[in-house]
Amino acid sequence: MSNQIFQAAIIASILASTIRLATPLLLAALGELVTERSGVMNLGVEGMMLLSAFTSFMAAYVTGSLWLGVLAAILTGGLMALLMAFMAITLKVEQIVTGMALNLLGAGISLFWLRLMTATAKVDYLIIEIFKPIQIPYLSKLPYVGEILFSQRWLTYFAFLMVPVIWFFLYRTKYGLQIRSVGENPKAVDTKGVNVARLQYAATIFGGMMAGLGGAFLTLAASPRFVPGISGGRGWLAIVIVIAGNWLPWRITLAALIFAFLDAFQLHVQGVGVQIPYQILLALPYVFAIIAMMSSRARSEAPSSLGAPYTRE
Amino acid sequence: MTIPEKASKLKQWQITPRAQNSRLWRIFSVILAFLAALMISSFLLLTARINLASAFGALFFGAFGSWRAFMDTLARSSPLILTGLAATIAFRAKVWNIGGEGQLIGGAMAGFLAFTLFSGLPKPLFFLLVLLFAFAGGALLGALSGVLKVRFNVDEIISTVMMNYIILYFLSFMLSAEGPWREPKSYYQQTVLILPEFRFPVLFPRSEVHLGFLVALFCALIIKILLDATPLGYEIRALGFNPKAMKFKGTNISKLVVVTMLVSGGLAGLAGAGELFGVQDRLVMDIANGLGYTGIIVAMLAGLDPLGVVLAALLFGGLINGAYRLQTVTGVPSAFVDAIQAIVLLCVLASFVLSRYQIRRVVDVESDLSSSDHS
Amino acid sequence: MEPLLRVEQLTKRFPQALANDRISLEIFKGEIHCLLGENGAGKSTLAECLYGFYKPDGGHIYFKGKPVKLSSPVDAIELGIGMVHQHFVLVRPLTVIENVVVGIQDSGFMLDLKQAEKRLLKICETYGIHVDLQAKIWQLSVGEQQWVEILKALYVGSELLILDEPTAVLTPQETERFFATLKQMSCQGLSILLITHKLNEVKQISDRVTVLRRGKLVATINTAEASKAELARMMVGREVIFSVQKTEAARKEPALEVKNLRARGDKGQEILQGISFTLHRGEILGLAGISGNGQKELFEVLAGVRRAEAGQVWLEGEEVTNRSSNFMMARGVGHIPEDRLHEGLVPDFSVAENLILGQQRSALYRRGPFLNFEQIRKFAAMCVSTFEIKTPSLAHPTRFLSGGNIQKIILAREFTQCPQCLLANQPTRGLDVGVIEYVHKRLLEKRAEGIGILLASEDLDEVFDLSDRIAVIFKGQIMGVFDAHAANIEKIGLLMAGVKEEQV
Repeated sequence: MSNQIFQAAIIASILASTIRLATPLLLAALGELVTERSGVMNLGVEGMMLLSAFTSFMAAYVTGSLWLGVLAAILTGGLMALLMAFMAITLKVEQIVTGMALNLLGAGISLFWLRLMTATAKVDYLIIEIFKPIQIPYLSKLPYVGEILFSQRWLTYFAFLMVPVIWFFLYRTKYGLQIRSVGENPKAVDTKGVNVARLQYAATIFGGMMAGLGGAFLTLAASPRFVPGISGGRGWLAIVIVIAGNWLPWRITLAALIFAFLDAFQLHVQGVGVQIPYQILLALPYVFAIIAMMSSRARSEAPSSLGAPYTRE
Repeated sequence: MTIPEKASKLKQWQITPRAQNSRLWRIFSVILAFLAALMISSFLLLTARINLASAFGALFFGAFGSWRAFMDTLARSSPLILTGLAATIAFRAKVWNIGGEGQLIGGAMAGFLAFTLFSGLPKPLFFLLVLLFAFAGGALLGALSGVLKVRFNVDEIISTVMMNYIILYFLSFMLSAEGPWREPKSYYQQTVLILPEFRFPVLFPRSEVHLGFLVALFCALIIKILLDATPLGYEIRALGFNPKAMKFKGTNISKLVVVTMLVSGGLAGLAGAGELFGVQDRLVMDIANGLGYTGIIVAMLAGLDPLGVVLAALLFGGLINGAYRLQTVTGVPSAFVDAIQAIVLLCVLASFVLSRYQIRRVVDVESDLSSSDHS
Repeated sequence: MEPLLRVEQLTKRFPQALANDRISLEIFKGEIHCLLGENGAGKSTLAECLYGFYKPDGGHIYFKGKPVKLSSPVDAIELGIGMVHQHFVLVRPLTVIENVVVGIQDSGFMLDLKQAEKRLLKICETYGIHVDLQAKIWQLSVGEQQWVEILKALYVGSELLILDEPTAVLTPQETERFFATLKQMSCQGLSILLITHKLNEVKQISDRVTVLRRGKLVATINTAEASKAELARMMVGREVIFSVQKTEAARKEPALEVKNLRARGDKGQEILQGISFTLHRGEILGLAGISGNGQKELFEVLAGVRRAEAGQVWLEGEEVTNRSSNFMMARGVGHIPEDRLHEGLVPDFSVAENLILGQQRSALYRRGPFLNFEQIRKFAAMCVSTFEIKTPSLAHPTRFLSGGNIQKIILAREFTQCPQCLLANQPTRGLDVGVIEYVHKRLLEKRAEGIGILLASEDLDEVFDLSDRIAVIFKGQIMGVFDAHAANIEKIGLLMAGVKEEQV
């Protein structure tokens, strides 16, 4: 009898972690969804998340305000995305390599500044006080469900709320229609007098800001420290999630939850002390990403003009 | 706006696409980009509150300032030549191999395997086997991504990046306390030390330039000849430009993609052997240390030309060396290189626009019309 | 009466050429005005200037008597000028309504598709247009898609409609209906500027016609007062032979036999539904049909690039079903693809490199493991002179050559590589008369040499001119095969639209 309760508690714990761990993935994926729907392939999500994680941590550390940290993250992601947009849309440079460059930029600058800061502060690592979970009144007291769904941090609630918001934006507003059209056939929209570049800039910068928020979650809500490479490939997973979710908001949410579940599972299994080399568990999400891409035969919603710079001929 | 009565000679400035990518402008724009990058990184240095003059002085001196420094630069450049070549040959085919990092590790691991198996053999044979195994290790990983792409439609960018993480965890396992390659009774995640007799011979006295450097130069030459003067090179280049036309004219695209990934991965694997047997002398977790990713930057800087890769790798080798000296002299973290290399790449990418377009004075072209038939 | 649109001395310059040289014209309300000229005469460029897509370098435009400056299509649309491009600019996964509505700058940010549907239904009623508004673009036929493009212009209240080569994608019957609707529109007060290079259409539909040649205005005349020959002379600048001379075909053995071929398209749908025909040596078998009815896929199967799911193909008596493209090439099957720039060439490669495309591994051009550049250069030089290819050098990248020269490169390559049979898919599309004449001449030469040619073309004149026999393809099936003498254009047109004999 107590065994059952114990098992149920573990499952609830895993599910609660799933929701929590899905937050950065979902934020970045939703941002990338909008970017890719406009036809821009932003592969620099990883770098944006990482640098935003760093700047938000630093801002919070230096000023003591977590909210300033959030602002810093949004700014960082937005600025990096602005750079991406400039290179990809105005200069029409190869988008894939530009994305890689941004990844390396994020990694390099964050590492450089971290070493600078720890050297001057003469410590090995820095710590801040992070966001606490917000318990929703009444609902968080529900057995199990309360713990899973209604005791999360505000960034998590925000991330999941953005799913219907983005759905609504893409499918029920004029600008959403324009963005979807630009990604499919930019000339169709250009001949109607719509400013293609402006739309793509906006979509890319939005994606960057969302990726920034994802990064902020890592250092302001998930853990109190910044370690080099804290993003750990989550930016790449976000890109995979967009593809596996067939560029549809709800499917993307599902994909993000599945990846987060793998992560959560690995965390708790370690605690229980199962006899698998932990490296296998850590590698699971990446293996799963490859498998997910294999079965992604349904890529019907892939924007036809993705990654192709548009010039008016 | 009206046009003048005698509409004969109308001079105006126009920005037009260039017919052929001007080689000269390419090189010029790369140099320009490099300088621009240095300027931008000055801002980074300013945040570290460093005297710019002494910083750049340290950089340069550390890179090329003395014979010792120059030798160190050569040593640092040899893995970059190989990872740069790996990226070059793949990118020319528009196959985006971002897995140089993981393929390097795979090559190093395969090389270590050869070490455990063949250390008894005579040295020349031993080194040959090490190189072969290293190539095979990287090539296998590359080919795997290639197969995933052509058979299962898995984007190679995704599969190679994911593999980078997966291989790293695999290495971690092999070096962990339960793993087979861990140095017995050691506290650290590493293998046994490779004794001096099994390391790559050093080429110049009192330097770290080892056999790997020769291997790298040799590969650069081979790849250059391959791309420009063989049918396979023709096909690889065509694949990067227009795979559809290739398909119509009898080429097996799938096979070509896998072969390209195989060669690309193998080159990165060779870099792994160099790092293991010439620099680190034991297999450790950060055996790759970003060399795979830096190789991509080297390749782009070189304009995807194999011989240019050698020059670009030397430049970056110097930069890395300079950064170490920078840390010693001024206390600026050597991670500065990681930051600046990305800035260099971005500037180089932006500068390619310069060589793609040209600014010309355009004269009224009425006379040309009779001979041209434009669609 | 004041013209609706007046253009004065309009000039547009591009880096390579002077596309429009001081062109002046007028269009009146309710007029159907044709803009006639060869490919490259500057018609599309002029239209794009009128639509605000390009900025003219000189001249004035007056709309309803007032001078206007068009800096983008938004300005043109606001004035009441609408344009339907030759290559549609539709968003395939979206519905007709969404395509019409996207980008329209009015108040609010919510989409109101119901409102839009109501307005569109009214427009369709007024002009007699029949399109399923809820259908997604990829579900519509090409002719229907064209109506969507027109609806886009009508929805925003266009008073002047510019149509760029609208009948290129229509069967003869569809063209009739199209023109009937156009006439109805002009009666309702809509002005139409129709860009075309087809003399029949000019005579059929227009009130007046403006002829352009090499960027310059030749003349503007009342259509009724000009004969086809006169128009042709104005268009080209010299006498034009209207049909090609060809000798009788001596029917020989079969070169290519196809039985019950079935294959799937790129989206997995059944595209070829049992194709059977025989191509003989020394004959030209014309395949008439609107692009998109399976020609591309049929040619890909025959070239060895697409899998046949059922059926057989015999080449000179040997079964070659589903053999690789390499095999077919080696057996002497040449292929001139539909999209010459993207399927026939590597545009960034040089002229010489493209001439040996497919042969890069052959012993002819190799010396050991390396390419034999001397030999390649010799071959390329021979091709350039024999086929009159105009290029600054053998090393020049082909992407900068004109369409005609690109086609000549492909011809040179295929002709010298294939002795057995030739698959030509829309070989003269988008080329001007001089090059078309050249291509026809060389095709007939090959025919005289005894090579069988399968010629797919949307241009019925070309099909009738060149073919010995004509087959009609519709929705992946052969609707009928006729001797060229016995065929008449109406019957062929009906078959192209899928109307079988019994239903007539």
